[in-house]
Amino acid sequence: MPQLDTSTWFTTIMTMLPTLYLITQLKLLNTNHYQPPLTKNSNLQSHSIRWQPKWTKTCLPLSQPQQS
Amino acid sequence: MNENLFTPFSTPTILNQPATIPIILFPATLVLTSKHPINNRLATIQQNLIQLTLKQMMMTHNAKGQTWSLMLTSLITFIAMTNLLGLLPYSFTPTTQLSMNLAMAIPLWAGTVMVGLRFKTKNSLAHLLPQGTPTPLIPMLVVIETISLLIQPVALAVRLTANITAGHLLMHLIGNAALALSTANFSLTLLTSTLLTLLTILEIAVALIQAYVFTLLVSLYLHNNT
Repeated sequence: MPQLDTSTWFTTIMTMLPTLYLITQLKLLNTNHYQPPLTKNSNLQSHSIRWQPKWTKTCLPLSQPQQS
Repeated sequence: MNENLFTPFSTPTILNQPATIPIILFPATLVLTSKHPINNRLATIQQNLIQLTLKQMMMTHNAKGQTWSLMLTSLITFIAMTNLLGLLPYSFTPTTQLSMNLAMAIPLWAGTVMVGLRFKTKNSLAHLLPQGTPTPLIPMLVVIETISLLIQPVALAVRLTANITAGHLLMHLIGNAALALSTANFSLTLLTSTLLTLLTILEIAVALIQAYVFTLLVSLYLHNNT
């Protein structure tokens, strides 16, 4: 059986050791497991149905010509 | 005929240089790492698989056992990738080498025994005697339990080696037989279908990885907790 030929055992074992204990573990450490982003709770109570005049003034910067 | 059958299991050389070094290193390069929160499909699938196996394996352990999670995850990843790549034709599977499996099994098993002996000495020694044995049987049973403990790493290594080697050998044999019978056409379909089913059953080589890690896990669990 060629598996029992011990001349190659040293090479195989010495290659396996860094592969298993170093490279694979480093690769697994470098995977980032991100949590799915939490959806923002939109508070529906604070939305008013009609436009409030003070909001319109701040939201439209082009409507205030005095500041240039 | 004998020499021809076993040559796929001898370590490959290219121009007398050992080719096992890049072959063993190659499956580790297939693990994709990326810093992006959202990756492409392949990276996401792989990441989810690793996360799934990690959670499944580490659920049964307490905090001390979970320090081994990186080791066990890299073990199952390495063996799974190596075995699956070995299913391709004309490829070399490093896990058919008894050297590598022994070098994997003995240190890991010894580590679990030492963890158990160091942190729970009385508990782990008490495992050598099952509960409720009649007194005259105690010496013999301690000897039997010690032998069954000491044979664990050898069993782990030989189990993996023998299973993968036997599977590959069977595929070679059946493929050769199908080829030789292709001149007589009517039995060709039967043999190729047998080969195909054997190949899919051999994808249960992945189940063998489960068996490997699971048995390692069981011994770790036992030494750690109970």
